[in-house]
Amino acid sequence: MLGEGILKGMAETARNFFGSYVSKERLTTVEYPEERVPTAENARVFPFLVYDGAEWEAGMRCVACQICEKECPPKCILIDKSKDKKPDYAGKPQFYPTRFDIDISVCMSCQICVEVCPFEAIKMDTQFELATDDRFAGLLLDRKELAKSNEYYHTIHPTEATEVDSRLAEEKAKVEAKAKAAAEAAAAKAAAAPNPAPPADKPPAGGGD
Amino acid sequence: MDQQLKIELGKQGVFVTTIEELYNWGRRSSVWPMQFGLACCAIEMIATTMARYDMARFGAEVFRPSPRQADLMIVSGTVTKKMAPQVVRLYNQMAEPRYVIAMGACAISGGPFKQGYNVLKGIDRYIPVDVHIPGCPPRPEALLQAFITLQKKIDGQHLTGEDRPRFLDPNAQGEFSVPDQGEHDLEPTSNTGVWPVPITIR
Repeated sequence: MLGEGILKGMAETARNFFGSYVSKERLTTVEYPEERVPTAENARVFPFLVYDGAEWEAGMRCVACQICEKECPPKCILIDKSKDKKPDYAGKPQFYPTRFDIDISVCMSCQICVEVCPFEAIKMDTQFELATDDRFAGLLLDRKELAKSNEYYHTIHPTEATEVDSRLAEEKAKVEAKAKAAAEAAAAKAAAAPNPAPPADKPPAGGGD
Repeated sequence: MDQQLKIELGKQGVFVTTIEELYNWGRRSSVWPMQFGLACCAIEMIATTMARYDMARFGAEVFRPSPRQADLMIVSGTVTKKMAPQVVRLYNQMAEPRYVIAMGACAISGGPFKQGYNVLKGIDRYIPVDVHIPGCPPRPEALLQAFITLQKKIDGQHLTGEDRPRFLDPNAQGEFSVPDQGEHDLEPTSNTGVWPVPITIR
């Protein structure tokens, strides 16, 4: 029948209109600045850099391998590699980024940087309130603005963060076991051949690698 | 007007305001957007006007189908070089005071298509943009937040003096030249006075 759909639609509207006086459920509007729609756990906006511990610069997981920079489809990441090295989470000396910029005016939130990162250093943020009138400076995030703690990562993506943490702990245990085994082997070797005295004190120190 | 004095007077039942405040309040509470969308960000813009996010709460529910009646242009989506002259023309047809929101990566900078041959690398090459919203696409809340940012910007404008808005300045540029389809690119590639030539800092 002609107009049946309109009547059905109007009936639904009327039900919500009058129902909203008795039931809060019928009020669909989420009044944004005061209340928010809860985000889904897999929600993502722009990438951020994870750091461990309290110091963002010291705990940065990124080792400036530049894989994300090369893989980024719209080329919105710019990384400068450091000249010196600093120890990472497992105590291994690694490079670090002296500059890590993401141009969020170009970023398309594809998550490819996250997928290719072998160090679990770059993850997706859920912060979306980034509107600005500053075209250049306001839309270019540097490494200080990008650095967010691991605790923050746990609050936005709890399941994923726990998985990442257990994987990193496993890897760290593996590295430590390997170092220990190497040190033991070196010590055994040194004990078996005590005659050449000068090299005996050297292996345990360099045995970690 | 002293804010403290104003609150005190308000408690006594005397409400005072300045013409500037009243004027800005009126302007910011009835920013009517123009009804046009260019690509996928427009879907988020439509979602923003629907019941859940409800842009009517900010006085912007009336999407005008004509640029003559609109105050705000939400450039939502990819601006191709074919479409750019029409966007500039629509902006020229809008009456002052007028504002522009560049919504999404494509409207700000060309986004994922910025290395292509057919997409304009940001609408701010031709028309002045007031608020940029990054995101691909931005969430409806991000558009609302941009709207609040724009309202704050309108609130902070003075009616007199050097930093008065463009529409109160008789010498300000009112019309922006519409680019032509050149042999290889749009001509001119940007409007002078709108797009500053970026200085590369190394």
